[in-house]
Amino acid sequence: MSKGKTRTVEEINEKILKGDAQVLTAEEMKKLVESSGVEVAFKEVDVVTTGTFGAMCSSGAVINLGHSDPPIKIDKAWMNDVEVCHPGAAVDLFVGATNMSEKQPFEYGGGHVIQDLVAGEEVELRATAYGTDCYPRTSVKTTLTKDDLNQFYLLNFRNCYQRYNCAVNSSDETIYTYMSKLLPRFRNATFSGAGELNPLMNDPDYETIGMGTRIFLGGAQGYVIGEGTQHSPKNLNGTLMVKGDAKKMSPDFLQGASFTRYGTTLYVGLGIPIPILNEGLAKKTAIRDSEILTDIVDYSVPRRDRPKFGQVSYKELKSGSIIVNGKKVRASSLSSLKMAKKVSSTLKSWIAEGSFLLTSPIERLPNDSIFKPMRQTEEIPFVVSVMHPAITCTEDEEIRAIAERIVTKSVNHIVVVDEACKLRGIVTSWDITRAMAEGKKALADIESRNVITAKPDEPLEIASKRMAQHNISALPVIDIERKVLGIITSEDVSKLLGRQKAW
Amino acid sequence: MVRILLRFSEEQVSQPIASQIIIEYKVPMVILSSHVNSKGGEILAEIPDEAQEKVVKAFREKGVSVTVPKLIEVDSEKCFSCGSCVALCPVEAIKMEKDFSVKFEKEKCLGSTCSICVDACPARAIKSIKQNGSPNSKERKS
Repeated sequence: MSKGKTRTVEEINEKILKGDAQVLTAEEMKKLVESSGVEVAFKEVDVVTTGTFGAMCSSGAVINLGHSDPPIKIDKAWMNDVEVCHPGAAVDLFVGATNMSEKQPFEYGGGHVIQDLVAGEEVELRATAYGTDCYPRTSVKTTLTKDDLNQFYLLNFRNCYQRYNCAVNSSDETIYTYMSKLLPRFRNATFSGAGELNPLMNDPDYETIGMGTRIFLGGAQGYVIGEGTQHSPKNLNGTLMVKGDAKKMSPDFLQGASFTRYGTTLYVGLGIPIPILNEGLAKKTAIRDSEILTDIVDYSVPRRDRPKFGQVSYKELKSGSIIVNGKKVRASSLSSLKMAKKVSSTLKSWIAEGSFLLTSPIERLPNDSIFKPMRQTEEIPFVVSVMHPAITCTEDEEIRAIAERIVTKSVNHIVVVDEACKLRGIVTSWDITRAMAEGKKALADIESRNVITAKPDEPLEIASKRMAQHNISALPVIDIERKVLGIITSEDVSKLLGRQKAW
Repeated sequence: MVRILLRFSEEQVSQPIASQIIIEYKVPMVILSSHVNSKGGEILAEIPDEAQEKVVKAFREKGVSVTVPKLIEVDSEKCFSCGSCVALCPVEAIKMEKDFSVKFEKEKCLGSTCSICVDACPARAIKSIKQNGSPNSKERKS
């Protein structure tokens, strides 16, 4: 055993094989460092096990079916009515977690197919092909279990986000997102990730995690095969690409899931053992939720860069309520912290019983790359690009005065505002005509109070769809405090459409 | 116990209908939630199973709309304790325990009159179910 200030993975593995290795879960390690300090923790602990269990959409499975007789070169294929893709030759398939069933979209998808196969259930395969001299068959239909497959590997492009946003909704309507159901006007907040239990958070410089690192994946041993897509280490948003033999995995740690109006996904249990090679790693694995901050992001703005409302720690998030704009908002987790703990404790028991040995990475993960936005050769128009000043009135004005304004300004919509220019209602030329016909004098009797609105940074296409949905021809544009910034009309939209070929 | 949802119109709300029925039938009634003002409103109440038939009949005779809402049931086999539902529940019937298990307290739940959590469950472990032996066929649409 090393008596110096470092130890090696080989030394740790020798201890594991002898049954002498000291293994703690990340949770236990934090308590030890707090009570006894880094130096003692380094001396006493060889390995710290981490874990996370969350919705990881960029997950999937590679499958080889074996050849049919006569053989088929699959063109299109479905498993339990979920379209799967054929990225390679004849009978290789990839089941993407977010592909949805054609019969039960949003309820059953690729994630569920993977879970069903892992659980040993029978899955129906349908495939079609164009037929060639070497692969003459044009269709096949059969049932399969994982035992019938040659290879069934989980292959996830992007897993284990180091940390993730906290989501809120500032709009007036409930929205359904990949961050789940967000109630209007900040009535709830959702967050994802295991915080201080997350593997990458416990080794933020990726000293021990890299290509070739053996990990816990879906209840079996798996491997890190490199950086994940969108890996963005500079702002603590590292990700991993991982693979593992799905035949050996457990449906407890791989669960298909459905997010209403978003789609299907796969919850993945992933844990990584951190070898405590030096005091620095002992200190890093002591990181607490209070030190891990994340942005509070407004998901009601459908833009790449969404407005933020400051930062919040995982400690606050896990407490069940956070403060947004000075107001208390209840927060729920989307990933399971209970399962994350189960991942780290299961991994601990594997190492303690000698059935899991540690590895050194054969290549380190990049620690300086950034995640770039898409290069777009065509820009799309936003509400702000066509919005113009709204003609307004106040509630104490007479209908006659408003009618005159409609004529002189030659508009069809008058926005009713209060003294602070905040939206109160809307009146159309049709409302005025009807008021005249019915002899009504008070604006309050004819104005619409339930106004459908637009936000300045919304894509015009979305605002335009809203007009069509509600069968209306104008939307007042308001800011977050409901102050009227302007108006867009269906005329503006059609003018722009006339100029542009397509969005 | 069975839950009933009572809807009062503007005219009915000024009359002591509920108290009359409670006294007349000697039925203990637990008020679970109440949203009532001078223009009418709703009361979600719990009454003993054996009183259901006569109490529902009595309210309906007085013109009060009565529905027997469905209950919410959580399939503990499917639930993996993500907690997605916790912050949505208006009556704190769903709680996150210290060990991060999600705990559902059926007694506090408002049932299908709320249902806010049902479509937020990624595991699809939350379902609306009919109350035992309830005359759901007589349910009136709101």
